[in-house]
Amino acid sequence: MSHFLLMAVHGTILAAFFAILSRRPNRGRWLLFGKILGALVGGGLLLAWLMYFFPSGPPAPIP
Amino acid sequence: MAKKSQKSGAPTVSPVKVPSVKETAGPSSEAHESPVSNPRLAAFLAWVFPGAGHFYLGDRRRGLLLGGLIFLCLILGCSLDGLLMWQTSGSPLLILGTLGSAGAGLPFLALRFLLGYQGDPAAAGYEYGASFLLTAGLLNWLLVLDTWDRAWGRKSSLVDGPLVDEGREEAV
Repeated sequence: MSHFLLMAVHGTILAAFFAILSRRPNRGRWLLFGKILGALVGGGLLLAWLMYFFPSGPPAPIP
Repeated sequence: MAKKSQKSGAPTVSPVKVPSVKETAGPSSEAHESPVSNPRLAAFLAWVFPGAGHFYLGDRRRGLLLGGLIFLCLILGCSLDGLLMWQTSGSPLLILGTLGSAGAGLPFLALRFLLGYQGDPAAAGYEYGASFLLTAGLLNWLLVLDTWDRAWGRKSSLVDGPLVDEGREEAV
């Protein structure tokens, strides 16, 4: 299971939802889809990259 | 003149006619005619079954697409064995999560009470699935709000028309 793939699928569903919900003409709707998808996936990658500077501690015990 | 009115007591105030709401509402007003006779039923349908509210309002294509996306979210969440939040006391975040997930309406109730679905904490996709299930509920709350606004005619029919393809849009 790819974490990135799941994030991309989640972003695609959200972007498609808001693009369809918007009342813009088709071109504006596609533009909105691209913007939201780019922001979600790009933002996720940026956050993941920033988190390299905050190394995780020991793994949490499994209850 | 001003001195005269001060001497005589209370200053004279000329009556100003304040226009009523009905008088100010002209053709450029934001209020539009409601497309359905029962807006509350439209919002209820939108909550019960994702996309049904738009379907009821006559925007069938948009209703099908948006409802389909919400069902896709639910299916992905369940296939990942994600957590379906159900907690009415205790952690405030879990209560908020329950309220969010409950937005999916009938599918949420069917999953929780008919199928007894709760998710598998040992599954690799438990957290991811929880995100998909919560997203489905929250998106449907948005659909309910959108249906509510459209049913009361609060959105212009010019920019708020049904979802049409490129050819039909250009023809309009």
